Amino acid sequence: MRIRCPYCGARDNGEFSYLGDAAPRRPEGMAAEPAQMFDYVYLRDNPAGAIRELWYHAAGCRSWLVVTRDTRTHAIAGVAAARDVALAREAGR
Amino acid sequence: MPETEVAARPASSAWQPRSPWEGHARPGRHGRAEGAPGLILQPRGRSGLALLIAAPGRDTELGNRLAAHLGWSLPEPGRTRIAGERGLIWAAPGQWLALAEAPEDLRELDTLLDGVAAVTDQSDGRAVVRVSGGRAREALAKGVTVDLHPRAFGPGRTAVTGIAHIGAQLWQRDAEPTYDIAVARSFAGSFWDWLTAASAEFGYVVEPGPRA
Ligand SMILES: [Zn+2]
Repeated sequence: MRIRCPYCGARDNGEFSYLGDAAPRRPEGMAAEPAQMFDYVYLRDNPAGAIRELWYHAAGCRSWLVVTRDTRTHAIAGVAAARDVALAREAGR
Repeated sequence: MPETEVAARPASSAWQPRSPWEGHARPGRHGRAEGAPGLILQPRGRSGLALLIAAPGRDTELGNRLAAHLGWSLPEPGRTRIAGERGLIWAAPGQWLALAEAPEDLRELDTLLDGVAAVTDQSDGRAVVRVSGGRAREALAKGVTVDLHPRAFGPGRTAVTGIAHIGAQLWQRDAEPTYDIAVARSFAGSFWDWLTAASAEFGYVVEPGPRA
């Protein structure tokens, strides 16, 4: 499997480390109910199909990436810098 | 160590700078003895190397100051802008390696880039070896997972990657091809072992390295 890093180009997946689902948002610290925090820390969907997940280009540019991957085929539909994704989300808020 | 002991150390200290390649690189012809050597390996001396990390949102100002004072411009991701032994190498988003003949040449960057970028001297932190020759690409291909074929990579390009599980940054200088490869200094010995093992079947010449 290769991941096309937006900065470095296509690289072997051995250069990356995997974090997991990019969707969970950390709830507001003191305001969150324990159940919300439990959900954020432990509960994950396990879709058969497309998922957006965080990968870290550890052996390359040291950037966090959001990779859209099909869990059934490992086909990658898109890669974006996590920083850009976060900035776009902030801007759209 | 207590300060008094430092102060008491004689000016003619026995401690001397030492090349990271010393004790590893033996000048001369090695590997396959027949025919022309496939590779030339040249341990680089103590050239100036510094990592520049732009403050958030200050990339443009960083580029402006480097252009105004040194005539340098920031290369795009995966690119270098080097003239001779001086210039800039992209290293990561918002990060560049500055290169110069000697560490002293980069000393002014600290004040020049004050408030715009963090400057970290890497002159003693990285070990650089210059690899060239007609079989250089074949030898490197044994450990470099980045495609170095001319259709995918060439002069003015750089890659931050791992070579034989050793973190490395390489950049291509010319189409001969000539590559400079930088690894963390403490990995110089391991990297040299890998590089020479990969080069042996082609025959290689080690050029005399600098003393320090
Ligand atoms: Zn990358």
